[in-house]
Amino acid sequence: MSPTALVEPFKSEPIKLEVKNLDLFYGPKRALNAVNMKIPEKKVTAFIGPSGCGKSTLLRCFNRMNDLVDACRIEGQILLEGSNIYDKSVDVAELRRQVGMVFQKPNPFPKSIYENVAYGLRLQGVKSKRVLDEVVEKSLRGAALWDEVKDRLHDNAFGLSGGQQQRLVIARAIAIEPEVILLDEPASALDPISTLKIEELINELKHQYTIVIVTHNMQQAARVSDYTAFMYMGDLIEHDLTDTLFTNPSKKQTEDYITGRYG
Amino acid sequence: MSESIPLVKEPVSLMPTLEQRNRLRRLRKFKDGLSRYGVMTAGMAVVFSLGLIFFYLFSEIAPLFRGASVEIVKTYTPEALHQAPEDKTEFLTLERYEEIGGNFKRSGAVSFFTVDDGKTLLSAQMPKPETAEFSVMATSTADHGLVAYGYSNGQVAVAKTEYELSYPNDKRQITPSLAFPLGDQPIQLDAQGSALKVLAIQQTSSGTLIGALTADNRLLLGVFSSSSNLITGAVMLEQEVFTLPPLPQGVTATHMQIDEGAQHLVVATDKSQIILYKIVNPSAAERKDAVVVPNGKITAMQFLVGTGSLVVGTSEGHVSQWFLVRDPHNEYHVTHVRDFESLNGAITGFAPEFARRGFWAGDDKGNIGIYFGTSQRTLLVESVSDKSINKIAISPINNRALLIDDSKNLSLLDVWNKHPEVSFSSLWQKVWYEGRDAPEYIWQASSGSDNFEAKMSFVPLSLGTLKAAFFAILFAVPLGVMGAIYTAYFMTPKLRGIVKPTIEIMAALPTVILGFLAGLWLAPFMENHLPAIFSILILLPVIMLVTGFAWSKCPENIRNKMPEGWEAVIVILPIIATVWACVALSPLAEVWFFDGSMRQWFTDNGVNYDQRNALVVGIIMGFAVIPSIFSIAEDAVFSVPRHLTQGSLALGATPWQTMVGVVLPTASPGIFSAVMMGFGRAVGETMIVLMATGNSPVVNFNIFEGMRTLSANIAVELPETAVGSTHFRVLFLAALVLLALTFVVNTLAEVIRQRLRQRYSNL
Repeated sequence: MSPTALVEPFKSEPIKLEVKNLDLFYGPKRALNAVNMKIPEKKVTAFIGPSGCGKSTLLRCFNRMNDLVDACRIEGQILLEGSNIYDKSVDVAELRRQVGMVFQKPNPFPKSIYENVAYGLRLQGVKSKRVLDEVVEKSLRGAALWDEVKDRLHDNAFGLSGGQQQRLVIARAIAIEPEVILLDEPASALDPISTLKIEELINELKHQYTIVIVTHNMQQAARVSDYTAFMYMGDLIEHDLTDTLFTNPSKKQTEDYITGRYG
Repeated sequence: MSESIPLVKEPVSLMPTLEQRNRLRRLRKFKDGLSRYGVMTAGMAVVFSLGLIFFYLFSEIAPLFRGASVEIVKTYTPEALHQAPEDKTEFLTLERYEEIGGNFKRSGAVSFFTVDDGKTLLSAQMPKPETAEFSVMATSTADHGLVAYGYSNGQVAVAKTEYELSYPNDKRQITPSLAFPLGDQPIQLDAQGSALKVLAIQQTSSGTLIGALTADNRLLLGVFSSSSNLITGAVMLEQEVFTLPPLPQGVTATHMQIDEGAQHLVVATDKSQIILYKIVNPSAAERKDAVVVPNGKITAMQFLVGTGSLVVGTSEGHVSQWFLVRDPHNEYHVTHVRDFESLNGAITGFAPEFARRGFWAGDDKGNIGIYFGTSQRTLLVESVSDKSINKIAISPINNRALLIDDSKNLSLLDVWNKHPEVSFSSLWQKVWYEGRDAPEYIWQASSGSDNFEAKMSFVPLSLGTLKAAFFAILFAVPLGVMGAIYTAYFMTPKLRGIVKPTIEIMAALPTVILGFLAGLWLAPFMENHLPAIFSILILLPVIMLVTGFAWSKCPENIRNKMPEGWEAVIVILPIIATVWACVALSPLAEVWFFDGSMRQWFTDNGVNYDQRNALVVGIIMGFAVIPSIFSIAEDAVFSVPRHLTQGSLALGATPWQTMVGVVLPTASPGIFSAVMMGFGRAVGETMIVLMATGNSPVVNFNIFEGMRTLSANIAVELPETAVGSTHFRVLFLAALVLLALTFVVNTLAEVIRQRLRQRYSNL
């Protein structure tokens, strides 16, 4: 029985992303095994699983960041609102605008706070100072950072703390109005208070964006996500409502993992 | 049945014993200390040896700026002067071993004496007519050593001091004598027998010239040449006396000088004028306009060695230098060139140095001044007596001097005046050299002639250094930096693994080989294929772009055959084809567009073209510099953190946008320091510029002309200069300038790099 056959608990939800029979190889090594899943719109979906299970790899498939890895080969389809993002006609840069990404380690550019947020808009050809000002403020407010940085917008972004940098990166991502935001362990390099702020932010953002988050921290997954997918050794084991998955997992592997028997 | 309860075993410690650990700790401490002091010693040694290098450089340079000093060894009245205290000294001389002085008195008595104790070695007598009185005395330039006495009956006697060197019993002995090159009888200069008021004598290529002003204000010029009969040994004297155009009405002469070229007679007048007579053809001599000397009456006037310039002293103590400058119509004019620090009293006389453009002046208040023309330096002004200075004699090697004041006291002076030729203005500002129309920057430090005026301006050399470096950088930076960006950012790791070491190994190419290629292969090749060089420089980038564009338009199935990242390989063929075509078509292009020779075409259009030029140097030195620029820039681009490029790509940037927007700014400190390192290397590079520039110290930025760089200049001239000479020390100064130049460039680079790095520090 295919493991994905069970993962159909949300027929009623509008689906943003759909993964169909996705295989991924790093050279000869198979990193993802025929993954099938649907990610509902404007919800938070968390990927959990032990290290090396393929959750980050899967996440990076959604905006084709794996293209940058040499010897990475992909079979199968990922549909963004019904159209295959691996189609030859797809402009990767435009896809990445639609599907933004925030990395584990805060990676602001060596520019001012303002220029960091404006970077994506400038890429899109926005030159108007008025428009840029407005979007920068909106995005920083959206990332709950505005009040902390409004007086030093033109200072170097490296002057911010780690948590602030991560929220800046989120502001930078939402400035270009993506449809999906991919978060790759966004709080793992942060202190508990910063983590809390990021989590609050995720709760805010899900009203506007479809969010996919990879996390090692099961409590975090339980706190922030609506749906959780558990992966193991390149297989999607279980994908369900977060409450269901954590309280009543249908697979033994899942239960073993969430009760801490391995990980 | 008692089961023995298994004792809980002491866990066996696998750690070494306490004693062993203590021993190890002591050993480690010893090693730590040893390495700490070892490293410290090595570091201090490096700093110390650097300090030594600097100390050595400075110690070689310091004497250049020391000025001059004199010390009165003794003051005494020699025997010869005792005998007739009222018989004034008219001429004083000191020979090159600085042991024997010669004293010419008004009475015609000449005595040679040892300068250390004043003992008379030889007494001689100037030829003197029986009935006439001494009226005036003149000397030629110091290197010819002629002395002329004029008498009240219009006669002249000419003598010359000679010193014969012999080594009886292996000891040097100098025997002075007085020779009479124009015969030992006075010769009649003025046929009318009028007294001579002013006299001038000079040894020229067309014989001995004697100019004179008679008491009745006639200007005479006598041309004398002597030839000795081979058979009888008798001296035949040929003589001809010309009357020159008279001085202006109401003006009389006070001083007179004749140049070595027998072209000009210069007259100073009692109205503070200098009047030039053109005497190329003495029978048709011309009088030129008078030039007025400011600051009092002219009290002394003297040609410096080489007779290219006059020094003029006035009654107010003013000392100035004047040149005979040729105008576009080939006419000479007396032109004021520079002034020196004045003396307090009226100038009583000058003593020019023998082989340099230096001279001494004395005034009527007992002061002397030591000056140097080229560098416009006043090296010393000092009071040496409380009486008027009568005569000064400097030795040909400038280490001792004699002077006589009005009290008949003779002073022997020890002199230190080794490097008067160098001053800030002579090194860095335009200098008016003798024989030139205007002040110029010239480097020409040596020549075959002893009378040569050394021209040591650093401007041509520094400019040449910057010119060579500039064109090298112009060639190397686009190639090096863009190659680095492509290699680090776009190339596949496999190809990069081949390309990077290959380019880096180019740095190991000895520059002497590159210089050899540049001078013996590229320079002549370029001269014969100029159109090819230019078309290659223009066409290569165009062809690359066209190839790239055509490739992107190729059908998918062809493109897919080339593995990603290896696309660079496909431009190799078009590059080779373009280069071949350019070279092959070059002769045709010359025939079609440039009348058969592009080089000639440049010349016809007023552009100087040297075979060894900045373009050759730019290309070859560019190749020498590319590896350093490429290597550092490549590392800088490659070490831009992956998460930054990914962050940019994840925001929807194309690879090009990411490169321009994130990678380049982040790598900019490294790229900048790469460029500056390349520049620093180009500035200090020696072999290539030595072999491929022609070493002509020109002052321009023409790409088709050569240059001489500081480094090449040192390499060329240092082996040929005398250790300890001014030239030698100036070359050390050039080394210091070079060091300062690279130091400034590198420091600037480091400061900017640190500032940039600080901006990007938290990466």
